[in-house]
Parts: sequence; C-alpha cells; structure tokens
Amino acid sequence: MAVYKRTYKPYSGELTANWTRFTILPRYSLAKIFDSKILIGLLLVSLLPFLVAATIIYLTHNPIARTLIGMRGENILSIDNRFFFQLLKIQGSLAFLITAWIGPGLVSPDLTNNALPLYLCRPFSRVEYVLGKLSVLFFLLSLVTWVPDLFLYVLQGELEGNGWLMANLSIAYAIVAGSLLWITVQSLLALALSAWVKWRIAASGLMFAIFFVAAGFGETFNQVLRTYWGHTINLVYLINEVWADLFGVPTNVSFGRRGVGDPRTLSVPLGVAWAVLLSVCALCLLLLNRRLRAREVVR
Amino acid sequence: MSSEGLAIPMRAKAEGYPWQLWRTQLLTILRLELKRNFFKLRGFWIYLLAFAPAVIIAAHAATSRGRCTLEEDTTILAGIFELFYLRLGIFFGCMGIFTRLFRGEVIEKSLHYYFLAPVRRELLVLGKFLAGVIAAIFFFGSGVLLSFIFMNGHFGQAGRQYVFAGPGMGQLGSYLLVTVLACIGYGSLFLLMGILFRNPVVPAVIILLWESINNVLPAMLKKLSIIFYLLPLCPVEVPAEGLGTLFTVVADPVPIYVAIPGLLCLSALTLFYAARKIRSMEISYGTD
Amino acid sequence: MAYAANQSILFDNVSKFYGDVLGVNRISLAIGPGVTSLVGPNGSGKTTLMNLMTGLIWPTKGSVRVLGLTAQDPERFFRLVGYCTQFDSFARGVTGREFIYDSLRLHGLTHKEAADRTQESLERVNMTEAADRKVAAYSKGMRQRVRLAQSICHHPKVLVLDEPLNGLDPMARAESMALFSALGKDGMHVIISSHILHEVDRISDQVILLNSGYVVAEGQIQGVRDEVKEHPMQIMLRCSHPGLMAAKLFAQDHIMEAKLHDDGRGMLIRTRDAGRFYSQLHEIVLEGEIDLEAVAPADDDVNSVYQYLIGSEGATV
Repeated sequence: MAVYKRTYKPYSGELTANWTRFTILPRYSLAKIFDSKILIGLLLVSLLPFLVAATIIYLTHNPIARTLIGMRGENILSIDNRFFFQLLKIQGSLAFLITAWIGPGLVSPDLTNNALPLYLCRPFSRVEYVLGKLSVLFFLLSLVTWVPDLFLYVLQGELEGNGWLMANLSIAYAIVAGSLLWITVQSLLALALSAWVKWRIAASGLMFAIFFVAAGFGETFNQVLRTYWGHTINLVYLINEVWADLFGVPTNVSFGRRGVGDPRTLSVPLGVAWAVLLSVCALCLLLLNRRLRAREVVR
Repeated sequence: MSSEGLAIPMRAKAEGYPWQLWRTQLLTILRLELKRNFFKLRGFWIYLLAFAPAVIIAAHAATSRGRCTLEEDTTILAGIFELFYLRLGIFFGCMGIFTRLFRGEVIEKSLHYYFLAPVRRELLVLGKFLAGVIAAIFFFGSGVLLSFIFMNGHFGQAGRQYVFAGPGMGQLGSYLLVTVLACIGYGSLFLLMGILFRNPVVPAVIILLWESINNVLPAMLKKLSIIFYLLPLCPVEVPAEGLGTLFTVVADPVPIYVAIPGLLCLSALTLFYAARKIRSMEISYGTD
Repeated sequence: MAYAANQSILFDNVSKFYGDVLGVNRISLAIGPGVTSLVGPNGSGKTTLMNLMTGLIWPTKGSVRVLGLTAQDPERFFRLVGYCTQFDSFARGVTGREFIYDSLRLHGLTHKEAADRTQESLERVNMTEAADRKVAAYSKGMRQRVRLAQSICHHPKVLVLDEPLNGLDPMARAESMALFSALGKDGMHVIISSHILHEVDRISDQVILLNSGYVVAEGQIQGVRDEVKEHPMQIMLRCSHPGLMAAKLFAQDHIMEAKLHDDGRGMLIRTRDAGRFYSQLHEIVLEGEIDLEAVAPADDDVNSVYQYLIGSEGATV
C-alpha cells in the first residue's frame, strides 16, 4: 500500500541517564504519600524523640539553662553510646509504624490494578522497580533515624568539644549502620508482603502480625521448651542485639524470677542475629522476584 | 421464559414472618462464607496462629523427660493462653477473619452480589458474623484444646488425675469459654470496623495498643477493653514480671455473672450497630 | 405514555452527588415495559442511574420506586429485579455454575430447584460446557455471559444491564440482543446501557439520553428526533429522475438541501418539516413522471439523535 507522507518519527531527542530512571517512582510515590494526613502525623511524632534528645543534650551542656528551669544536679543523662542506643530503639519503633502504614501501599495496588505490566513493558526492569519503591521507604525512614541522629551526634560533639567527635566515631558508625540495617529489613519485608498479599490492608495487618505475633510466638517457644532460641523469630529482639553490639552496650537484660543458669535468660549469639536478619532480607528478595512479573497466571 | 419473579416459598410466609426463608438464607450465607473464606490453603496463617503453640507444646511433651513439673507447666500454659492466644493469636486471627468478611468483598468487588440478592442486609451481617465465629472458635478452640491435652498428657497418670479428678477439666472449660467469648467479642468489633473503615488496620492497631497497656491503665479506663473482662475468667493466674509490674494498676475483677452477659451484650450491640450501618452502605469500589 | 406506578420504574426528582461531584441531577422519569436504552457519553450518569434503580447507591435527594417497591424491602424487591453490573469480578475460586446456583439458593430455593434453574440459565447463554470451570479462567465474553445468566436466573420482571455487550463476539452479541428483545416483548422492563448504538437502536422501544447527569431527552426514538427541530430531518430517496425530483421539491420552502448521489439515482434530502415533505412526495409520485424506488429516514436512529443532542463536544440543546 502506498504511503503518501511519512510524518511519524520516533523520538530522537536527548534521553535521561539509565541509572536515574528508577527515581521516577519515588518522585510520584512521595507526592502521593504526603497527601496522607496520617503519615504527616506519624512523621511529626517521629521527630519528637529527636527534639527531646536535642533538648537533653543542650541542657546537659548548659548549667544556666538547667538552673533556670529548676533542675538540680550536675548531669541529667550521660550522652554516650547508651543514650544513642536508646534513642535509636525508640526511633526504630516509630520507623516501623511508618513502614507499616506506607510500605503495603507501594506494590499491592500495582498488582491489584494490573499496573505492573505498564511499568515492565517499557525499558524499565524489575530491579529498577524495586529500587524505586525501596527508595521511598529509605528516604522516609532515614528522615526519622540516622539523619536526625547524626545531627545530634554532631551537636553533642560541638557542645562537648575536646575531640569528642573523633573519639566516638564508633557511635556515628553504629547509628548509620544500625539504622540502614533496620531500614533495609523493614523495607524489604514491607515490599515483599505487599507483593505477596496483594490486598493493602491485609499486608498492613501482616506487618503488625509478623512483629507482634512472632515475638509472642518466640516467647512461647522459649517458655515451653526452656530455651532462648525462640528469639530468633523475634525481629525486634534480633535488631536490638545487633544494635547493642554496634553501640557496645550490654545485651537484653531480663528482670524476673528466673534463676541463674535458666537458659531462658541467655541471649541469641550475635552471628545468629545477623544471619537471621540477612536471611529475612534474602527471603524477601526471593519473594519479590517471584511475585513481580509482567504476567498473571490464573489457576 | 416467564418474568414474574420467583415467589417467596409459600411455607415461608406463615405467621407473617418468613422464618423458614430466613433460615434457608442464613444457612446459605453460612455455607458460602465457610466454603469461600475458610478451610482454604490461603488461610494457613490462621492455622499457624491457632496450632503453632500446640505443636511446640507437643514437641515439649515428647522431649521433656521429667524435667518439668505439672505446676510449672500449668503456669506456662496459662501464660501462653493469656499472652499469646488472647492478646495476639485470637486478636490477629479475628482481625483477619472478620475484617475480610465485608472489607475483603469490597476489595474483591463482589459484595454487590449479596446486595442484589433478596436477602435482608441485617441477615447478611448475622450470617457472615456466625460464619466467622464458627471458624474462629473451631480453629482457636481446637488449638487451645490440643495445647491443654499435650501439656497435661505427658505427665501420664499424674496428668490424668489432675485433669479428671482435679481442677483440670474446670480449667479446660474456662479456657474454652474465654476463647469463645474472645472470638465473639473481637469478632463483632472487627466486623463493625470492616464495615465502617476503609482501612480497618488503623483502628485495630489502636485497639491492640490499648489492650496491651491495659495493665497500667487506671481502673476506670481498664473497663473499656475486652481483655479486662476476659482475664478474670482465666483459671490460672499468671504472675506478672518485667518492668510492667512496676506500673500495674490493680482493679477489682469483674464477677463472672457480669463479665459474660456484659461481653455478650456488648457484642450484640456492636452487631446491631453494624446491621444499622450496612443498611445505608453503598457500593463504591474505588481503586485501593 | 403514562404507566401505573406498579407497572413502571419511577424516578421522582432524583439527585445523586458523590461529595462535590454530580452524579445525576433532578431526574424525573417513568420507564415502562419494553426495552429502554440509556445512552450518553462516559460520565453522563448511566451507571449512577442504574445503581440508584437497584439500590446499590441511595439518592441524595428524591426517591426511586421500581414496580411500586423500593430497595429498602430487598426480599420483595430483588425477586423482581435483576442487575448485570459493569463489575467484572467474582468471588474467589467459584465456578460459573456455583455462581448462579449460590445466587438462587439465596432466593430461598431448594437444592433441586436451584440446580434446575441454574442449568436453564446456562443453556440460555450457551455456557453449559464451561459452567464447571472456575470463572477466573474464563475469557471476558464468558464472564459476561455468566453474569448475564445470573441476572436472569430468577426470572425477574425488571432487568437492568450495564453495558451487557462488552467483550462479546458478534455472534454472542446478536444472541444477547435477540434475548433482550424477546424479554422486552414478553412485558419485562429491560434497561440497557450500551455504546454500541446501532445495535441497541434495533431493539429499543424507547431511549433516554443523558449528559453530565441530566436527562437530555427521553421517549421513542422517532419522537425524540421529531423534537429536535434545530437539525433538519435527513431522508434518503432513490428514484428514476433525482434531478427532476430535486427541482420539484425545491419549490417548497421547507426543503433545505438536496444532495445527489454519485450513482445518479439516489439523493439525500434535508427538510425542516418531515410531515409536509412526505405529503409533497406523495403528490409528486402521483404525477407519474418519477418512479420512486425507496424512501427512508437517514437520521432518526439513536446514533443520529446522540450526535445532535450530545455530539462529540458534549454540547446539549
């Protein structure tokens, strides 16, 4: 068939760099996410520990301010590795709430509404898709964990002086490494559940269930079998163990009736904690690999 | 094909109320819900919640070899029941089962088939609730029963003596009663949440946290929780431990003749409110 | 045409707002038996009207009664009403047969009665062979047919069909249209919304045109067309001497245009007054100079009425 005019031409202009393509997802996801009042509320609440800690650090180095507000005594708290460890524990819990709220809504709507083929039929790989979704959580969770904590670290260093910063570099390392580990575990878990369950509400519920129920189940395991290995399915316990090691503080202390030598008072070895956390990440990646396909199989 | 519409079965119109029709419809809804939503492979998480403790206790029974006492195991079982089953297992199990009954159908865009059937919406609420309760009681009741059997069974004659001639049967009865009441109480609550809220997880988490801190709440606020009415019905007291003991507020326990009817009334009121709300519910399947 | 309240579907000043968004506004309609088409562009309110009719949504204002009943009395209402919605979704894991059977059991039928009627409806839509497979494995057309079967299985008096021809192949469409036509002739109220205008045109007794939530026109198609005075009637003629015919017709002032066809025998006439045109044509033919082969209106179908009243820009009269 003869063609009169060939006016259609494919685009031949400048293209963006390949490695930046995944940033399209977080750009739109974040714009949509910040419409949520609940997220704004959670972010504000998550900043409270930072504000309280900053106040404590300031007061610790300012006797006049302490006197003005009627506080007696030399120091309120010692701003050391324990301080940052406790702070990270609180922030970690709040980060979990943010993940449970945001995470399930990242992948499941794409699967439920058959939007995944729309992404994958373009020069956009599954890896870029996962990276894009992960970066949303990384950004938000970093805002409430290591970013403000590093600020506090620097603040403490500046107020303390005497080379405190360099002498306590391990704290900075612990803050960043510990936060990134927890962010990675939570984010991958949220995405994997979101991809597996397809119903956003169920994925949210499952996030809570995995943390709460696993902890309860692990404790049941320990009580019945008089052991401590039940803690290996308690992600909160494991991350606390890792953080305690990174920050150089004693591990979980048990108050209670149990006597010395009761295996239930012992802690899970650090290597096991790391192994379980990394295994969870690997399992989540496997699940994502399995679920994120451009086709649907009906059984 | 005639187009007169199917007549209401004549026998159902006796006495002005179609009791027979309602019975048929209720049984149909029960059958449909039990077939579709329960006893399926994708419900394995409920089986896990219900039976995992029993599996662990069975492992303990098989390997303990006299290293534990009946008294100790009874206390541990009580702890498992109160801290795992009541606060976590039944809570999350009911959350999953009951929020799915309506909210799940909205997500799957299949609720309108029920709304287009000649079934009163109140009957639909009742039918779905009963299906959820049957499933929840079956799973968690069986889990509790098995846990009890395994925990006491491995003591041999002493265990049998304790169960059949001692307080054991009474304890089992109490555990099963509390399980039933918990399933009914939490079930009605989550059913209502599934109707009222687009995302019922948010209020569910608030309730979870509220129930978790029940120990440290003032006496007046304690009464605003399901767990407060259930715990006094548990047969064995679990000694508190940990930091929580420092902040625990002790309140007068509710008598059994108040707790049971009270919980049932609360559930009935919740269901009544759910039935009222569903009458005005509209089908609007937005994108999730 | 006026119908008794218990023989019609009545909308009494019905409005429906979704928050600030208008669904339908101040709709007053009386729909009688026969096949009624709901026609309008996307977002005009067709599905809203159907959902209001069947109680899936409630009006913000006004009332809806179907054969004297409201959806607040579901036990009587839904025995008489069947609705094949636009939602292409089913309960998980269900087969086609189970889907229809379960619906009939909810009507209170015994197992045998429900099974028999299930078979009957499946035969009606030619789905008996695939009935025992899971619906999730059906093609779009098969899912459409099974939903149609479910909506008619209880022999309703009012059948509401939201785009029932979606996904159907031409054969299935023709069969479905024949079925709807037969149901309409049987005295059933059949309300159809469809974008396949030429097909609904063939079987519709009346049409309701909607645009932006308002009823633009309602009634029999020819009647609606006659009301649209702004657009002259177009009539196709075939005769032995089209030029002579045109000359004679142009003697009258109501003829706007006469376009001759390339084949030399056909012509398209545009006239402001169809009645006078036909009388004049009658006289011309009786003069004996011109042999008339065919005469037919060219634009009194749903498609033309849609274009005139709603058009591609959504403009209204």
